Amino acid sequence: MILYYFIIAAILSLVAVFVKFRRIAKAAIITFSLVQAAFASYAYLHLNQTELSYFTFDSLGVVFLLVLSVIFPAAVFHGFRYFKNRITRRFFYYHAALIGLITAITGAYLANEATVVWILVEATTLFASVLIYHEKTKYALEATWKYIFLCSVGIAFAYMGILFLGFTMNQGGFTDLSFLAITNAASLVDPLYLKIAFVFIFIGYSTKMEIFPMHTVGIDANSVAPSPVGALISTAMVNMGFIIIFRIYAALSATPIFSWMNHILLIAGVLSVLVAAGYMLKAKHNKRMFAYSSLENAGLVAIALGVGGYGYYAAVLLLIMHSFVKSSMFFQLGQLYRVLNTMKLDASGNYMRLYPAGALVLIIGMFCLLAVPPSGLFISEYMIFKALIFGNYWFVTVITMLLLCVVVYAMSVRIMHICFSEPREIIHNKYPEKIHPAETITQFVFLMLVIALCFYRPPFLDELIRQGISIIANH
Amino acid sequence: MLNFLIILFAISLIYLSVSERFRTYAKLIAAQGILLMGIALFELKEVNTASLIFILAETLIFKTIVVPYLLYSIINRTGVYKVHNKSLLGFYSLILALLALVLSIVMANALENPKIDTVYLTIALFTLFIGVLLVVNHKLIFSHMIGFLVIENAVFMFSMSVGSEMTMLINIGILLDIFVSVLIISILINRIGSKFNKLEADNLNSLKN
Repeated sequence: MILYYFIIAAILSLVAVFVKFRRIAKAAIITFSLVQAAFASYAYLHLNQTELSYFTFDSLGVVFLLVLSVIFPAAVFHGFRYFKNRITRRFFYYHAALIGLITAITGAYLANEATVVWILVEATTLFASVLIYHEKTKYALEATWKYIFLCSVGIAFAYMGILFLGFTMNQGGFTDLSFLAITNAASLVDPLYLKIAFVFIFIGYSTKMEIFPMHTVGIDANSVAPSPVGALISTAMVNMGFIIIFRIYAALSATPIFSWMNHILLIAGVLSVLVAAGYMLKAKHNKRMFAYSSLENAGLVAIALGVGGYGYYAAVLLLIMHSFVKSSMFFQLGQLYRVLNTMKLDASGNYMRLYPAGALVLIIGMFCLLAVPPSGLFISEYMIFKALIFGNYWFVTVITMLLLCVVVYAMSVRIMHICFSEPREIIHNKYPEKIHPAETITQFVFLMLVIALCFYRPPFLDELIRQGISIIANH
Repeated sequence: MLNFLIILFAISLIYLSVSERFRTYAKLIAAQGILLMGIALFELKEVNTASLIFILAETLIFKTIVVPYLLYSIINRTGVYKVHNKSLLGFYSLILALLALVLSIVMANALENPKIDTVYLTIALFTLFIGVLLVVNHKLIFSHMIGFLVIENAVFMFSMSVGSEMTMLINIGILLDIFVSVLIISILINRIGSKFNKLEADNLNSLKN
């Protein structure tokens, strides 16, 4: 089935770019979103089935694939709104690249081999760079250059990590680089090489998970890319980075380097939250503030992994809910730009008066992101702190709590300013665009979903998460 | 002969770290391409012929001819011939390069293993450090591009250090090398040069909080 999925995606992508009719390109992307949903359902119904030797529908991949399949149609819808008043040939390239990006991300979710993952991750860089450069402005060029350059350096680091892994596999008598083979061989080889491999791979894929040390890639990309693309980069792409790091972490969890990896993750996590908190206090650009919020959440996920126990479950749950909240916030920022004609914080204001439905989304989304009950993120963050306290990580607990207070302050002050204050800087915007509240339905649906998850998690979701994290040896 | 080529490669790295002229950079990148071809030719005797031809063609055609040609066209098009005057002085760069060499030797020896060639690993680490130094110490995007190309060469040397058992991985790495390098250089030539003055990295600083 995955072969047909790849073929259909390739055909639809080519149709979108070569048949230069808007309706046909629209039909192609809508068809693809249906194919994506159908494929995700198929993967769920055929759990643990391997296809084409390199792709396995395991629980972890499938749970994030389902999330992507829910978010993607909304991104397509907001993409159409984004292009509403733009007569441009870029419409075709945009949708072709979008199909390519989602296909590569889907492949990376399900790939069971380190080299295949690596190739697909590189493909995501190329498709994402087309989307980031979409506006063709000076800023877009700068962000694209930085994105390709840093991702390429990251991918080179990841390659060196995989080389070291390959070398260790050869020592253990294994010739392939599947995650299963790595799990089986890892305990037989010199831990020093495993440490080097893990560090290289972690640094390399930190570009995708938007976590310290190569988090800057995602920040610039999110601030420049069209809002629907920003929504996907800061959710689906972050989830992809997490899955890859998690798979390597799980494969090496039965080795003597397990506690060392946990320390690396804790350090990277705390530093991510620290950087996010610091820059959110300085943020004067609405999109960048939410991009730093992604960094903060990715940092919390790394801390959750590093602490173990309840943390594993909390990490996956946090990412699922973060995906829904953050995508709705980015969709909302796209509408905010249409109303205010700016992304500058100082020029933003009075949003509640100009577009109440949108302002409501920002406020509810802010509470959800800040993990204020009844946000579902409260459950995951509660579990993370519970795991930290049970594990006697008092220093990390206190530091993280203090930094989260800074994040709460920085974000709430800014959102309240956007919604209720007069703009500090006047931008000539005579005719703010009127947006029909129906366009904001997707955001409300996603946010309600996150709130519902605070009270009830469907058994299938719970089971998928538990199965997904069961690959960790010490779990 | 192999050791001679490896030593020449290390010397080219030291030269690269102290050079200030872009034409010298382009020449050194071409020289490194030839050296890598020679190293691959002597080292990868056990791989099958098709893989060997692919690797040799990549190092000769791509690393030695295409990339330096593209670098020259960037130099001619932008009219920028030297590194930024705020870049680290050659003397200090030399000191840093030598420190990097010492660090590489220490690290490679710490990782000693019968299946890893320590000489290759030392040079691979040294290449990686020089690439990173070029990115960090220099102000112009052109130097960053050179740093990236050097990091790609480090990846190639890493492939050599773990021997000829993973040709599939090496080939994938090479394909990545070609694809990304051409993509980045194309952006540099076609887009950045026309939008930003003199390819200064400082100009790529408009994305702020």
